Amino acid sequence: MIAVENLTKKYAGVTAVDNVSFTVKRGEIVGFLGPNGAGKSTTMRILSAFMPATSGKVTVAGYDVFTQSEDVRRRIGYMPESNPLYLDMRVSEYLNYRAALKGVAGAKRKARTDEVLERCGLKDVRRRIVGQLSKGYRQRVGLADALVHDPDLLILDEPTIGLDPNQIRQVRQLIRDLGKRHTILLSTHILPEVEMTCNRVLIINKGRIVASDTPENLTKTLEGGGTVRAEIRGDRAAVERELRSLPGVKNVTFEPGGDDFIRATVFAPPRNDVRVHIYEKAAANKWTLRELSRVRQTLEDVFVSITRVEPSAPKQEEEK
Amino acid sequence: MSKLCTLWRREIAAYFLSPIAYLVMVSFLVLTGFGFWMLVLAFDGHTNPVSVMQVFFGSFFYWIGMLMAVPVITMRLLAEEKRLGTIETLMTAPVSDAAVVWSKFLGAVTFFALLWLPTTAYSWILNQFASAPTPIDWGPVVLAYVGTLLVGMFYVSLGLLASSLTQNQIIAAIVGFVLVAIMFFLGFMMNIGPAWLQTFFGYIGSIEHIRDLARGQLDLRRVMLYVSVTVFVLFCTQKIVESRKWR
Repeated sequence: MIAVENLTKKYAGVTAVDNVSFTVKRGEIVGFLGPNGAGKSTTMRILSAFMPATSGKVTVAGYDVFTQSEDVRRRIGYMPESNPLYLDMRVSEYLNYRAALKGVAGAKRKARTDEVLERCGLKDVRRRIVGQLSKGYRQRVGLADALVHDPDLLILDEPTIGLDPNQIRQVRQLIRDLGKRHTILLSTHILPEVEMTCNRVLIINKGRIVASDTPENLTKTLEGGGTVRAEIRGDRAAVERELRSLPGVKNVTFEPGGDDFIRATVFAPPRNDVRVHIYEKAAANKWTLRELSRVRQTLEDVFVSITRVEPSAPKQEEEK
Repeated sequence: MSKLCTLWRREIAAYFLSPIAYLVMVSFLVLTGFGFWMLVLAFDGHTNPVSVMQVFFGSFFYWIGMLMAVPVITMRLLAEEKRLGTIETLMTAPVSDAAVVWSKFLGAVTFFALLWLPTTAYSWILNQFASAPTPIDWGPVVLAYVGTLLVGMFYVSLGLLASSLTQNQIIAAIVGFVLVAIMFFLGFMMNIGPAWLQTFFGYIGSIEHIRDLARGQLDLRRVMLYVSVTVFVLFCTQKIVESRKWR
């Protein structure tokens, strides 16, 4: 659906997107993550044919976004970052106008607008003026606009920004529903959302793609993916000595776990499951083992570890 | 073509959804109406070599209305789209840059024409209520309106160009006014400088053009001048809109 090859975009000396390549297959819901200023919006603007790349080739549904721009624009529904709308129009008026602009034939227009009004939960406010709507409703109007011509591909730049938790939940559900029929590329800062809605995650940092995988794989491969927590009752010195001597263990931290238990966090590389070893040690030394579990890494940990500011910037080492 | 129509309708709607349209219309009518009334007062009771309408086109009030109204009409056209960010949704819809620029131009020209529409009543009023009924010569009046529309088109295109340069409506209005005013005052240059320059400025002086039309003289070369210059300015505007692609 989307094929991006060696995409580079420079603004007056600043490289916003640096030699990026990726593909999105039909039917995928892809989450596009990255810190502010990483190049997400720029990439999305290029994909939606709003502005061209400095170099590189971008095709959407087989059409080149620069030379066959109108063919591309017919097939995408794009919702820009700030969700700009004409504030002086009524909701149904606006959607009808946008549908006409996107080439929905006059006879079908009413049905299409009604459908998106229904889908986006805008039926009750269809006669209201856009400028008087709350942020949540405006966001839905933006989504409805992106959907109104039934595009193959939806490009949504931070569709849930500024929404309250209930609204986020509704929009997330809507996106998941839409994913059944459309290909979706969405950017967001809300990482649990990506874990819940997306089949695949692209992480971009400083204009480069630094990770591209399913959320599960990303959390697995992360350094610290092999971290294990154990609560043990036994001689503190012995426990410490034995755990540190386990194969592959990089570090162990200890804290009181209550009831005479020691809560140990064992840092080991991924794919090196130390849980069995800990169990065997406990059995051999007759320690009481109360908990033995893998520490689940969230996408947030992945995101932070990949996009963290390099040591040149202020040092902020986490607990690790 | 249907998209141009859709965009054009949106432009017209945008005017009447904002209070500025009504404010401009009322101010414009007060201004030109006042000018008309003064002329009628001055002409009343005398035998005059020229008609009231002939003097009205080319009068101070006529030009003030023209010069003030156009920048106010055009200032929001592209500047507001940029400030709201709607330029992004607009340009990512399957419409060409040319369609966007032309629809905005046509929308503004339509509003400009609507502004002048009520003033057609002046001739009718004269015809009905003049103390010594003199038949109005409709030819020159119609020509004067055609000229007004031509000059208006040119000025609107300049205002649109100004609006494409900024996202601030006030700046767009000021730049638009300066461009329009320069074009207007160039006509006065026909009395200074070397002879060839005087001839040149004589060709482009709008005051002279309108006055001649109001006298009933139609010069097709002047019509072509306004049409071609307008198209050229619109072409430049389109290039400025496209410039986001190569900046």
